[in-house]
Order: sequence, then structure tokens, then C-alpha cells
Amino acid sequence: MGSQKRIGKELAELMESPPAGITVNLVDEANMYEWKVLMDGPEGSPYHKGKFQIKLVLPTEYPFKPPTVSFATKIYHPNVTNDDKGSMCLGMLRPDEWKPSSKIGAVLEFARQLLSEPMPDDAIEGRIAEQYKNDRKHFDEVAREWTRKHAS
Amino acid sequence: MSSSTNMNALSQSEMERFQKLSNEFEPDVQGPLVTTKQSSHTIALDYANADPTLAAKTNDLAVTHPTTRIMKGDGNCGWRAVAFGYFETMFNNRDPIRLQEELIRFKTLNCYLNEVGHQEHLYEIFSDATEEIFAQTAQAIQNGDRDETFLVNAFNEEYSSNAVITHFRLLTSAWMKLNPNRYQAYLTMPLDQYCGTRIEPVRSEIDEVGLQALVDGVINPSQFGVEILYLDRSEGEHVTPHQISDKCPIHATIRLLYRPDSGHYDLLYRAEPTVNMTPMVNLQYDMTSNLEAWDQGALNFDVSSHLMSIPNLMADPGFGMGTPMSPMAPSVSPTPASPFRMSPPQEIYQSPMQSHVPSHAQSHAQIPSIPVASPPPVMPSAAPPPMTTLPSRSSDGPQIRLNPLVMKPNLSRSLPVTTPFKK
Repeated sequence: MGSQKRIGKELAELMESPPAGITVNLVDEANMYEWKVLMDGPEGSPYHKGKFQIKLVLPTEYPFKPPTVSFATKIYHPNVTNDDKGSMCLGMLRPDEWKPSSKIGAVLEFARQLLSEPMPDDAIEGRIAEQYKNDRKHFDEVAREWTRKHAS
Repeated sequence: MSSSTNMNALSQSEMERFQKLSNEFEPDVQGPLVTTKQSSHTIALDYANADPTLAAKTNDLAVTHPTTRIMKGDGNCGWRAVAFGYFETMFNNRDPIRLQEELIRFKTLNCYLNEVGHQEHLYEIFSDATEEIFAQTAQAIQNGDRDETFLVNAFNEEYSSNAVITHFRLLTSAWMKLNPNRYQAYLTMPLDQYCGTRIEPVRSEIDEVGLQALVDGVINPSQFGVEILYLDRSEGEHVTPHQISDKCPIHATIRLLYRPDSGHYDLLYRAEPTVNMTPMVNLQYDMTSNLEAWDQGALNFDVSSHLMSIPNLMADPGFGMGTPMSPMAPSVSPTPASPFRMSPPQEIYQSPMQSHVPSHAQSHAQIPSIPVASPPPVMPSAAPPPMTTLPSRSSDGPQIRLNPLVMKPNLSRSLPVTTPFKK
């Protein structure tokens, strides 16, 4: 099926030349639809020095539906649900904005960019977004604390 | 009472009610992605209680365009209608060589994708799907399949349907990016942004600019026409047709019904017999030939041997169309006194065809007397009117016959197998 063919090629490309701060692997060699991604917290962000584990799941309809991205590592971030799911769903990851010509590598770079620059106006966690906008100092402190506690 | 009087008599509240009813038309979000052909009366029923203008127009439509194919209203309807219509028209043409040419053209179109920065390993599954449909169409033509069930099935298969539509979207987007001056003026945002938010995302409805670009970049070179019939509230009793392909369609026209209120597209089929291209009767020549010249009785075969080398000779409509079509009625006429005449009155080119195509030939021949078309057709018919006004050929007098020896090589040269005939 075309979907697997394409996933295989994307995986090969990402393993051969991964984007900065990102490594990808399959959760289970026999299943191409579930990926384990390790993401370094970007420099200059409160997540710096943290290593975040991300689960990327490709729907069987990929690439006609977007992958889903969730943080397995707890993270304090306005665009990631503050629950045990750790879901991130915005921008190019929204089903209505998804383009079948987008690639998984771009999704991962988008996610990492979001660690550097959260999008508080498009937040899933309103309280964290408020704090990010109005009290950056305390936001950074909590985010750094969570990073030390959960992502080291 | 004309619909315009109706409109004038309507009160404000009635107008609002009709507007509401019309707005409430919702394209089917269940159902198949593409239906089989069905009666256009279903469209009329949708509007039976709506605005009288729309009711009148849809009733008229059911006569002029008696069949339709409904697209699922999932955001892909316009894209799907054009893509399906393209392959269906291709299939109905039944010309394997043209099909092959179109396949090659599509492969070449992928260069656009590279030019605007798409990577092959990301788009190849989309172009693979398009090529697969080409292959299925070629197979169906080769098998002599009579209907397009294979195409309906392919377009109802989620994956291949999505993939082909995505391919068409990407080609359209790339075409626009490569021809920005042609489209930017019509856009309210930068072209790149438009392509990224209105053309490429899944389920983004096609709009007028996108449709024009799809036709310009992807469909036009096939020389298929694309016509949109707008089911709007403008005055009149017919839906308003708009030809959006810039060339005079040589081969066939894909017809879309557009309902501006819901932004929905379906396919429509006109009330005329589809002309089966096998065995490749060139109707273009029928249309442009002055057949009366052949009736002057002055032309003997021996003086016209050079004429055998020009395409117009293929205008002998008796070839492949059966005798009812032909004012020349060769096979029932006395043999002309031509030294070049090689075959007996039962032309080998006549008899086998008559047994194969009578239904098409008959229906074609009867175009003027089709009972359903009581109002004049919306669009000028592509049928060759000169044919119908010619007097029946009398059975006396000499007659031009196709010389089998000349005709054989002539066939490959004069019929537009590879190059469309241009006036």
C-alpha cells in the first residue's frame, strides 16, 4: 500500500539525516505506524537540557490524515495538554489544515520549534498560556523545574 | 407564467423562506464518494419546494441533462468531479493511443512538482495512484468494458480517491506557483499562502480560482472542455453554462453542476447520444465537409484519386455509422462507373460496422427528432447540423466510394489518432 511505502521512505530519510535535536525509532520494528521520538529541549528555552520522549502515531489513512503527536514525558507548555496524554494539536497538525504533501520531519521540526516559541493564542492550556504571556518569569521557572524533574 | 413574474410577485417573507430552503440544501455527507449515473430528477426534487426559479431551472435541467453523478460533499466534491470526469471522458473516448499520450503528459506534469520544491518520495504515491487509474482505464478499454463501473469503484476506494485528488491538488498548486501573474490578481492573499491553505490541505473546497487553475494546468492540454452550469437565482429558466476551458473542446466536455449556495459540485450529462469513438468515425470531418459537393454527380472516382489522400474523404459518414446516417447511402446505391472501384457493392467497411454500432448510429441519426428535448438545448449542440439539412441522396448518379487500397494507409494518417484535428 502506498501509505506504507511513503512512511518507509520518510523513516529512512529521518534516520539517515535526522533534524537537529531529534532522533526517531519505531516503537516496534513490526509496526511502521508508531514512532518513538527523542527530542532535545532547544537552547534558549526553559526546556533546554531536557530530553523529551514523544510518541508519534500515524493513522492508517496517512498521509491523508495528520500524524498525532503526544508527549510521553511530562512538559509544562501552553500547547500541550497537562494530563497523561500530553497531546499537541495545532497548526499543521490540525486535520483541516493538514497537507498530504507535508512530511513527518516537518511535523517534528514544528513541534521542536513550538518548544522555543509557544503559541499562547492558540493554547490548549489557558492558564499556562496566561502565565506565559503575563508572568514569563514564573512560567520559565515552572517549565524549567518540570524539565529537571521529568525530562532529565 | 415566467419565472421573472413569479419573482416579482414574491413577498419579502416568501423570498426569505425560499432562500432558507435553498440554503438548507446540504450535499450528502454519507453515501458513496461518487454515485453511479442517476436521473437528474433527484436534483429537481431537492428544489421542488424551494425558490421557483431554482425549481424551474432544475426541472429544465432534468430534460436537457437527464443524468447526473452526485459527489459526496466532503470538501473534495469539485476536485473529485473534475478528476472523475476526466477519466470517464478518457474512457468514453476509447482511444488507447490518446490515453497513453495523456499518461505521459501526466508523468511530465510531475516536473512542476519538482520545480516548486516537492520531493518525489513524498508525492510519488499520489502520482502512482493516478497512473494506476490510467492503467485500469487502459485495461477496461482493451477488455471492451461497456460501462465505467471500474472507475466508480476506484473513486469510491478511499485511498486511491484521496491519492488521485491529492495529486490533482498538488499539480494545480504547482501550476499556480509557476504562473503567479495569471492568478494573483484574483486572490485576496499571497499566492503561496492561498495554495497552502486553499488548494493543498485535505478537504479544502475548490473555489473559482482553484477550479480555473485546475482546468488551465491539468485538464486543458487534454483538449477536453470543462463547462460549469451555475444553479443560481439569476433570471431565466435554464441553468447558466460557463465554459471555463480556454480551447474549443475537441474531444468531449466535462460538465459540472455548481450550486453556489452550498458550494457543491456534481457531474452532469447532456441529453445527447454519446458518440462512441470506436471505430473512430471522425465527426469533425462530418461537420466541416461540404457534402453537397459529392452530390453534384460530377465526381468520378478516377478524377478524385488524389482526394483519397486528404482527410475529408473520411467524411463518408456511411463508414462505420450505418446507412441511416448517410445521405450518400453507398451500399444501397448502384455501383459507380469507376475504374478504381475495387470492391462489390457490399463494402467490407460497411457491413461489419452495421452489425456493431447500430444503436449509436441510429440514435445519432435521429438527433433532430429526439422527443425529450422540447425546449432548445442550453448549449449549441455539437451535432453536425449540415448533415440533417442535406437532401437525401438520390440513388442515381455516380458516387464516391472509398477505395480500400488507399483507405488503409489513409486511416492511420487522416484520423486524429494522435493529433487532434483543428479547424
